[in-house]
Amino acid sequence: MREPRPPGTPINMQRMRDWATEFAGYRINVTENRIDRWLNQFEDDHQDVAARLLDSVQFVSSEQMAALFRDALRSLGGWSLDEDEREGSWLFVPFTGSSGESGDVMIQRFRHANNMAGKGYSGLFGYRADLLRSRLGPDDTVVLVDDFSGTGDQACDSWEMIFDELLPERPRVVLLLVAASARAVERIASETDMEPHACITLGEGANLFSEACPYFADEEKEILRRYGEIADPQYPVGRGDCGLVVVFAHTCPNNTIPILHARRDEWEGLFRRYD
Amino acid sequence: MATGKEFAPRAIGVKEVSVSELQPNPHNPRMLFDREPLRVLLESVDRVGILVPLTVYYDRRAEHYVILDGQRRWMVARELELPTVPVNEVAEPTLVQNIVTMFQIHKLREDWELMPTALKLELLMEELQERNERKLAALTGLDRAVVGRCKKLLNFPRRYQDMMLDPDPEKRVKADFFIELYAVRNDRLVNSFKWFERDEFTDKMLERYEKRAGLRSVTDFRVVKQHITNARRAGKKKQIETRFRQFTDDESFGIDHLAIQSAEVDAHTRQLTSEIEQLIAGLREVDPDEFYGEEALWDGLENLLKVVVSKLKKAGRRINV
Repeated sequence: MREPRPPGTPINMQRMRDWATEFAGYRINVTENRIDRWLNQFEDDHQDVAARLLDSVQFVSSEQMAALFRDALRSLGGWSLDEDEREGSWLFVPFTGSSGESGDVMIQRFRHANNMAGKGYSGLFGYRADLLRSRLGPDDTVVLVDDFSGTGDQACDSWEMIFDELLPERPRVVLLLVAASARAVERIASETDMEPHACITLGEGANLFSEACPYFADEEKEILRRYGEIADPQYPVGRGDCGLVVVFAHTCPNNTIPILHARRDEWEGLFRRYD
Repeated sequence: MATGKEFAPRAIGVKEVSVSELQPNPHNPRMLFDREPLRVLLESVDRVGILVPLTVYYDRRAEHYVILDGQRRWMVARELELPTVPVNEVAEPTLVQNIVTMFQIHKLREDWELMPTALKLELLMEELQERNERKLAALTGLDRAVVGRCKKLLNFPRRYQDMMLDPDPEKRVKADFFIELYAVRNDRLVNSFKWFERDEFTDKMLERYEKRAGLRSVTDFRVVKQHITNARRAGKKKQIETRFRQFTDDESFGIDHLAIQSAEVDAHTRQLTSEIEQLIAGLREVDPDEFYGEEALWDGLENLLKVVVSKLKKAGRRINV
């Protein structure tokens, strides 16, 4: 979460431009008009807290994601772009999603970021359905690539129900995430055989509604919670009660507060998850 | 052909092993262990101990024992905090032996988990060079119908298989969708249409199903297949091609669009004709003396005669009774 501007900072043209520039890479264009419409969903007395909420959004651009992927891969022990120097066999697989979905987008970004887009590297990438026949063993590494884990629920459940069974010969399994909550990282590490590797780890302070978040007063948090109930009555503070304000260029996680992304008759989020 | 016995792991001996040294078999199909049967087992083990040794092998690389058979007994032993359990150790099986053993021991999984089962079956089919469903069913203990379903899933490209393996329940596509779609996607007449492309068709149906645009349920594909079959039998190939293309390309065309009236009549006629032939054959077997007192039968036949005479008259047929 980024530190917002002080309370009372004017919501002027410059600030609007700054937001539009900051969020320029989002897959559905975030224009000044859209920002204005989003703000107008808040009552006059609540415009200031809404504006500070936008200030606090942690937007991960495509360029940042590419840099994070490069650093992440370099940090994985045993990896080398040079096949002769690589330890064991490696296979990179989308953790979730399929063609055209988030997982596929992640893998493509990962490949490009690490200069592996060429045909020569195609053998390093596969589908989940390839895992069993790959027969990767203890000296080998499988890297599951995904964008985000908020609670670790999906990762832990799917390890139990899918991946553990598809990897019976026990290769090293790395779950590479652009971002994850510290809670998710801990759960995945303790409840699965996967090594979670989050490029960005979000501590308790990243939960807008937690006491550890210093940027919003209790009254402001309550105001935002009430708007969250309009945006998504079922998950007013985001799935898993994560209360996050993280947005990626390609999508907004559903653990992020719904004020930012929900789309209903009663609410239009700025960072829609679907077209 | 393999019968199964040659896949039985070689026995080494029975001994006591620490509960903490045991791990479930990664090939074990994921099941929810119902609490009630486990509770009954727990009470039994608490009273008399584990009477039947677990079957295990020692995984040299992981440096622990892996349970081939007896996971419930192991779970109960852990809950009761037993220090050791009796095990019958067998030699570490090959991957194929392991998969076959797991298939034979465990019951089938729920639908959405069918894909991992299908992938294991694929490995077996490759290792054993065997595709016959009956033989695979005999080897694995799976129902022949399940083997058939798995083979259908394996027929789809990997990217569709991945949809069934998606950890995200909101994105995951159930195996049933692809199993029901298979008959249409692989229909011989449909594949003869020059414009038809299997994956493109599959993508469109996925989209329609997600949006519930003209497809309420995966079993709707059975109706689609039936319409195509009816049209083919009635010689309406050109018509069904046009309608099928419209149905594929335009979501506003529902399944009903594929029903060609004359083909439907033709299909209904075949069905009725078959039922009439069966009825005739059945009636020929009826000995009036034996069935003399069966009033319901005679009443039914009299009603049938009235209906038949009425229909024949309306159809302008001569009645020779």
